[in-house]
Amino acid sequence: MQTSMKPNMRSRIGTVGKGFKENKQIYLMILPNVIMFALFSIYPIGWVLKYMFYQYDKINDPIFIGLDNFVRIFTRDPYFWKTVTNTFYYVGGKLLITLPVAFVIAVLLNKKFFGSRLMQSIVFMPTIMSASVMALIFYLILNPYSGALNTAMMKMNLISVPINWLSYYNALDTVIIVGVWGAIGNYMVYFLAGLQSVPEDIYESAELDGIGPVRKMFCITIPMMTPVLKTVVMLVLISSFQDIQSIMVLTEGGPNGASDVMFLYVYRMFFPISATTASTSQFGYGAALSVVCASLIGAVTILYLRATRKVDDMF
Amino acid sequence: MTKYFSKGIGFILKFVFLGIILLFTIYPVVYAVLGSLKTNMQLVLGDGFLPKTWEFKNYVYAFKKLNFFQYTYNSFVLCIMCTSFALVISSMTGYCMARYDFPLKRILNTLYLALMFVSLGSVTIYPVYMMMNSFGLTNNLLGLALVITGGQATNIFLVRGFVRSIPAELDESAKLDGCSKFGIYWHIMLPLSRPIIAVVGLFAFRGAWNDYITSMVFTIGRKSLQPLTVAVVSLRYSVNAAAEWHIMTAGATIAIIPILIVYVLTNKQFISGLTAGAIKG
Repeated sequence: MQTSMKPNMRSRIGTVGKGFKENKQIYLMILPNVIMFALFSIYPIGWVLKYMFYQYDKINDPIFIGLDNFVRIFTRDPYFWKTVTNTFYYVGGKLLITLPVAFVIAVLLNKKFFGSRLMQSIVFMPTIMSASVMALIFYLILNPYSGALNTAMMKMNLISVPINWLSYYNALDTVIIVGVWGAIGNYMVYFLAGLQSVPEDIYESAELDGIGPVRKMFCITIPMMTPVLKTVVMLVLISSFQDIQSIMVLTEGGPNGASDVMFLYVYRMFFPISATTASTSQFGYGAALSVVCASLIGAVTILYLRATRKVDDMF
Repeated sequence: MTKYFSKGIGFILKFVFLGIILLFTIYPVVYAVLGSLKTNMQLVLGDGFLPKTWEFKNYVYAFKKLNFFQYTYNSFVLCIMCTSFALVISSMTGYCMARYDFPLKRILNTLYLALMFVSLGSVTIYPVYMMMNSFGLTNNLLGLALVITGGQATNIFLVRGFVRSIPAELDESAKLDGCSKFGIYWHIMLPLSRPIIAVVGLFAFRGAWNDYITSMVFTIGRKSLQPLTVAVVSLRYSVNAAAEWHIMTAGATIAIIPILIVYVLTNKQFISGLTAGAIKG
């Protein structure tokens, strides 16, 4: 992203500051995008920033109530903070499982062997599939009485009583595993790209010095991968905060809010189709909630960027 | 001796690990495909891995009784529209942003970058839905396709990065030959940036095919507009869902087979596109 800020000398093909006529073709070419960007990216943000100060539902006209929505969030809505805790648990859990597993897979598949390319393609496969449809399949597999997982585990005598994977105590962990299923492929690919960017001659000289594979891993590969690792963690963070599709299909945030995450809660403020909450839309309150969520994510991102800068200084 | 022994152990561990991952990754897909060919009885009882009788009539039922032809058609139309919008818009804008300086450019650039870090989640669907409703664009797939296509910021950055790597001398000589800006885009940039455009197209196709939340909101109360993802998931909420596992798996299979075929044909581009995006983004 750094390069985008520098003026690109080669790109100046005699069109600087010659007025509208000279640039007419350019404006015509970017026009469709500018319109769509304004309508679908800018407009909703403006809408949210306006209505977060309003009491607004489907029936009544919007009423300006100042900061009341925020007062409600911070003082009278413990359920929201529960979903925030759940979200952080989900994001943290997904990160802690996905990163090491994807990293090990990438290291193992980085060496060519028979079937390694095929294996890469298969591990990447979940990322091209619809999270919602696959969540439906997981819902069937995890069903306590007829699901394939419990049936298989009972046949192998691993358990004697069927486990309810989507119960109050298990739901959030189960949802994490389903999230991991969809994420490993992506991060494996990032790690593979990172591994391939480590110059081969470092390993060769290390071998000449008689350094073993474990030290090679910890003293060369992992330090050399920190830039990639930083980006990947950042991507996992931002995308997992917004994972709601599979949770929506799998548990709807239930039972009793056990697997509810913040963006799903916000979603229900707008489209209260689920049975788990009140059945009226609260657009104004939802807008305020979403601003709080976005700020939380922004704060995490900034903290993370700061922390990683410290890590950089250490090396 | 111990060296060979530990190597052997490492070898076994490696393949056990990869085997578990393989099973974990592929099992849900295999379950869906095989389940769609079983009777509901066999599926619910978990009786055997392979279908005992191959029930292709599950698909006949889904297509004939549950209107899956319509949903499949909707999905394809939606995908074709979204992919073409993404291709045209992001290639034109990316090219302009890479090659020319124009008064709006700085502002646009900053906005695109800034908004990539603002995540309001699915909230934005509601105002957009109301807006499209006032335009009269919620009764057809075009409106939904436009919304799914959206601002295209990531794709524009992808194209821009790629166009920058094409030598500018090519444009200059074309310009000397009297080629207009659009002409340069059409005759030179478009053919030369084919690799990245393929990636943009693939991602747009995948995004549209798999979209769930936006499509669901836009087709609430309009079943005939639903794409496959929405239709399949809604089977879960149908009255006799417990007796329709075989139909659910059949529906899910119908929804995953086309994208799987696309993936088998293009998995190299998918994977290389992802890394290109990660490095640039």
